[in-house]
Amino acid sequence: MSVRPVAQLSEYGAAAQGRAGSAFWWGLIILAGGLLLPWSRQGVNVLAYDAARTGLRLAFEAWPIAAALALAGVLVVLGRPAFPTRAAGRAMLAVSAAGAAVTIGHLLTRNEPFGLGAVVVFLGFLSVAGMSLSYGGLLRVEPFAGAAILWLAAFIAVFILYPLWAMLVTSVWVRDRFTLDVFRQTLRSPTFFLFENPWTELSERRLALWVGLASGLVALAWQVVLHRTELGQNWRRIALWTVTGAASGYCLSALYTGFGALRNSVLLALSVGLVSTALGLSFALLAQRSRFPIRSLMGPISTLSMITPPFVLGLSMIYMFGRQGFITNQILGLSTNAFYGPLGVGVAQVLAFTPLAYLVLTGVVRSLDPAMEEAAQTLRASRWRLFHTVTWPLLRPGVANAFLLCVIESLADFGNPLILGGGVPFLPTEVFFAIEGRFNQNEAAVYGVILLFMTVGVFALQHYWIGRASYVTVTGKPTGGNPSPLPGVLEYPMTAAFVLWTLLGFMLYASVFFGSFVKLWGFNNTFTLEHYEALRTSGIGVFLDTARLAAIASVPSALVGFLLAYVVGRLRFPGRSLLEFTSMLSFAVPGTVMGIGYVLAFNSGALRLTGTELIIVLAFVFRNMPVGIRSGLAALQQIDRSLEEASTTLRASNVTTLRRILFPLLVPAVISGLMFSFVRAMTAISQVIFLVTPSTNLATVLILSWVGHGSIGRGAALSCVLIAAMAVVVLVLNVVLHRTGRRAGPAATL
Amino acid sequence: MTKSTPAGMGAPVRLEKVTKRFGPVVAVNDVSLEIPGQKMVTLLGPSGCGKTTTLRIIAGLETVSSGRLFIGDQDVTHQPASQRPITMVFQSYALFPHLNVFENVAYGLRNLRVPPADIRKAVGEALALVGLAGLETRAPSQLSGGQQQRVALARALVMRPKVLLLDEPLSNLDAKLRKQVRHELRSLQQQLGITSIYVTHDQSEALALSDVIVVMKDGVIQQIGPPEELYQRPANAFVAKFIGDANLLEAEVRGGQVWVGNYRVPEPPGHLIDGRRLLMVRPEAIVMEPAGPAETAGPSGAAQPAGAAGAPGAGSAAGDASTPAEGGLPGRVVDAFYQGMSAEYMVETAAGDLMVLDTNLAGPMLPPGTPVRLRFSPRGMYVLPGEAGAQAVAAAS
Ligand SMILES: Nc1ncnc2c1ncn2[C@@H]1O[C@H](COP(=O)(O)OP(=O)(O)O)[C@@H](O)[C@H]1O
Ligand SMILES: [Mg+2]
Repeated sequence: MSVRPVAQLSEYGAAAQGRAGSAFWWGLIILAGGLLLPWSRQGVNVLAYDAARTGLRLAFEAWPIAAALALAGVLVVLGRPAFPTRAAGRAMLAVSAAGAAVTIGHLLTRNEPFGLGAVVVFLGFLSVAGMSLSYGGLLRVEPFAGAAILWLAAFIAVFILYPLWAMLVTSVWVRDRFTLDVFRQTLRSPTFFLFENPWTELSERRLALWVGLASGLVALAWQVVLHRTELGQNWRRIALWTVTGAASGYCLSALYTGFGALRNSVLLALSVGLVSTALGLSFALLAQRSRFPIRSLMGPISTLSMITPPFVLGLSMIYMFGRQGFITNQILGLSTNAFYGPLGVGVAQVLAFTPLAYLVLTGVVRSLDPAMEEAAQTLRASRWRLFHTVTWPLLRPGVANAFLLCVIESLADFGNPLILGGGVPFLPTEVFFAIEGRFNQNEAAVYGVILLFMTVGVFALQHYWIGRASYVTVTGKPTGGNPSPLPGVLEYPMTAAFVLWTLLGFMLYASVFFGSFVKLWGFNNTFTLEHYEALRTSGIGVFLDTARLAAIASVPSALVGFLLAYVVGRLRFPGRSLLEFTSMLSFAVPGTVMGIGYVLAFNSGALRLTGTELIIVLAFVFRNMPVGIRSGLAALQQIDRSLEEASTTLRASNVTTLRRILFPLLVPAVISGLMFSFVRAMTAISQVIFLVTPSTNLATVLILSWVGHGSIGRGAALSCVLIAAMAVVVLVLNVVLHRTGRRAGPAATL
Repeated sequence: MTKSTPAGMGAPVRLEKVTKRFGPVVAVNDVSLEIPGQKMVTLLGPSGCGKTTTLRIIAGLETVSSGRLFIGDQDVTHQPASQRPITMVFQSYALFPHLNVFENVAYGLRNLRVPPADIRKAVGEALALVGLAGLETRAPSQLSGGQQQRVALARALVMRPKVLLLDEPLSNLDAKLRKQVRHELRSLQQQLGITSIYVTHDQSEALALSDVIVVMKDGVIQQIGPPEELYQRPANAFVAKFIGDANLLEAEVRGGQVWVGNYRVPEPPGHLIDGRRLLMVRPEAIVMEPAGPAETAGPSGAAQPAGAAGAPGAGSAAGDASTPAEGGLPGRVVDAFYQGMSAEYMVETAAGDLMVLDTNLAGPMLPPGTPVRLRFSPRGMYVLPGEAGAQAVAAAS
């Protein structure tokens, strides 16, 4: 091998020098934005230009603006060198922090909604502050990463934590006074929870006590028998179980005999969680081990359920099981209201959330190594022992995860209780009625706080039990060996459940489809296109608006999600786990809660956003961000870290690595992240229903209000349009994904 | 070709009291190390001993818990990885799957904003250097394992680093290819004169490649030296056992003479200080011959407890005529393995079970049970420093 030295590297190094630092450019951007763009605005158009409010006009009247611009000028000077010294970094940090503070102070005192200029100035100072943290040696990451961390922290603080805070404050702060009265009144009101109901002889309290005592004793006996050999060592566990048993007996009895929103929502959530998880697990097992082609069916079914607004199932429940329902009335000849209330809501939710449980569990089931079962069998384990000692412990975290996910979804579901609730109170609908019907923000906030504490409690439990596994998508690789077929005892009932579930779902979708083509379902079943005609005047415009906002929102939600996934998954810095925890927390916050939080937080003052399209876009972004984080983390896990390290040792900065290595490899994940964000935004309801105004209406809200006013046919027609459009989007993007996947596929397995 | 003399740009690397903790685990423990410029230095040790961590600290991919790191005479302890004059070849190669061979190799130069014409020239030369000219447009997935390895090497070399780091670069190749690439790597390194730090757990690789070997265990350096020195004069039982095969015997040093049981070992090199010492004997340095029928007492003697025979009184050595002091160590074959060009025996003796490598293969193999007599030859022996004891022997295993 002959060796000829390649050109000397030291010659090249100089090329990177001599450029101006990023702080310099940010300083210029701040100056330009601060001088030319309005600092505040009057209308609802955030992008509007208002010459009277630009820095050029105001700098001489408002000293903070002049100060901010002067500080930006200092940054332009300080930021010249590409690699500032530590001292320069700290100086820039001080300058930019002062600039950001001055900007915020000005906005708060001015008390006019912020304008574009103020946003540019604030984000500019924030970026420089982040970079300076790194230049100043205070944060051991690259300047770019420092800025990204501050941006994300600021966004999470303003758009997730601040609304929740505003809601908490409103729940205890009435007419400028701290008070717990609203809490007291709400908790005592029969709408919330009625323990001792007056129209039965029985004392429910006493009954609950007895049930609690009995279940505590049962738990104690069971644990004592279980640990009979070493009672002494296990006393803690036994005591814990006894107390838990007694408490849950008491609570369940109280809930079962009681009345009110709390009772309805909790019982509903528990039963929906149980049934959906059981069905999801059965379908996951069937998909892997059945002789029938269930897996190929489950794919489209889960996609379909993803693109369906959750309350559409409620709507179709009316068609099938309502007073004029096809099954209840036409076939069975009944005229019943039985399906209005918890039963109907429960059925609709089970249909809607089972695919969710399936998606969580199918990964877990597939990651069970068949070889493991074979090994257990060669060790003479019976089928039951195999399940008990091997399969179940492996499934348990996934099952718990699916269960808790369904519970949270059910607690947060808003549309189905509204459509099918039949006047029965549920927690999410009470939030809505409190604010939109009774115009009582404080009461709404109290309901929101209660709902928040419940779901966050569930989330904390999940975090505690399952830890990080809860949001890391399981991408089980099937290994060799054939999974053993299910025993017939299990397979036949499971298959029957699957067939029933599918038939029911199919019927419900079909009913929406047909319902949109008949005059009035149940009364006048003549074919008509009038509902679709009617859409031309009001529906389509709103639909297109919704699509536009959802499309706008999908880009930042995917970006923010992936950036967060990168920052949290790949960088080390103080506060990382806090950032991770808060961003994950937003998984657990029901949309209804976020909705009331946004209403209360962005209602007045500098941050006033009510009535703007921006608030809807922001709601979409921060609702869907967890999806982006989830897929980002999952995708990052697939990428060998040594690729990034190789890039780093080849003199690439973090930005270069992100742009030239990670991003190209993540393109399929980013595309699917965009798609999910878009679809979720199009089908969202629970948060945005609080935020719409007549000028910024959304398709889902419109459907819901039509259904509420009796124009069910029109609602069905718009639902069909929505579902069809989503299906087209998903199909097209899947084709795109498939294309890019094929190109990147074999290489990505390297 | 006048330019082809070593560029001579390899810089020395110095670690000063470097410690790295991962929570409770001390992966690298107070390591001080001078790596001379332009040499090939191997970090050798069992899996989990902290080799990779040391390498990654030098690369800047891990921060140190304490200690300092110099490249040349510059303190780079807190310099980010992307600014160190270092490149690394990863165990998994870490080729960028979405870039073709050319772009993979050009990646680092692009980060340095080298003009495109220079990049084209430099990449072409680097690929020619590793024998991959003409494959520029292939995707990494279209290359064989050996070719991928070369691309990774070219990608590192094209940067003309002051230090080249290699983390088990050959472990994903099959045995034949590994030997070939090993030689190419060595000659490339010598011709280019790049300081190379090579991590491996394979002692034969380390022996064949290195100017200097650094043996590590549990995050602590055991010995630093050229391959021959490590093989011939190991610093402790661990090094003796880890580099090549070694028999470790307890021996008694008295007045410059070394005794194993009743056998006076012929003049071994090493630390001949009076007391109980650990004697290393390489298997190939033991000469074995069948014992005569008169000496069948030998094997039964081997059955005695080791302690009784291992501490002979001066009188017993002189008094027992049937085991002359120079006559070797009696034993009995326990196991025999045929290996083609040699045969390996396990021999039971009073001093413990010994491994013997017979490279002559003059006659037929000796079956198990055969009584034999062992003689040690000085060139494969070494008396280790320090007292012999149960701990020293245990530490070696
Ligand atoms: N990122 C890490 N986190 C925690 N422990 C680690 C990490 N990297 C390495 N270790 C631990 O440090 C020790 C040394 O690891 P390593 O340097 O990879 O060993 P080697 O390369 O010699 O096999 C091992 O005990 C390993 O478990
Ligand atoms: Mg290693």
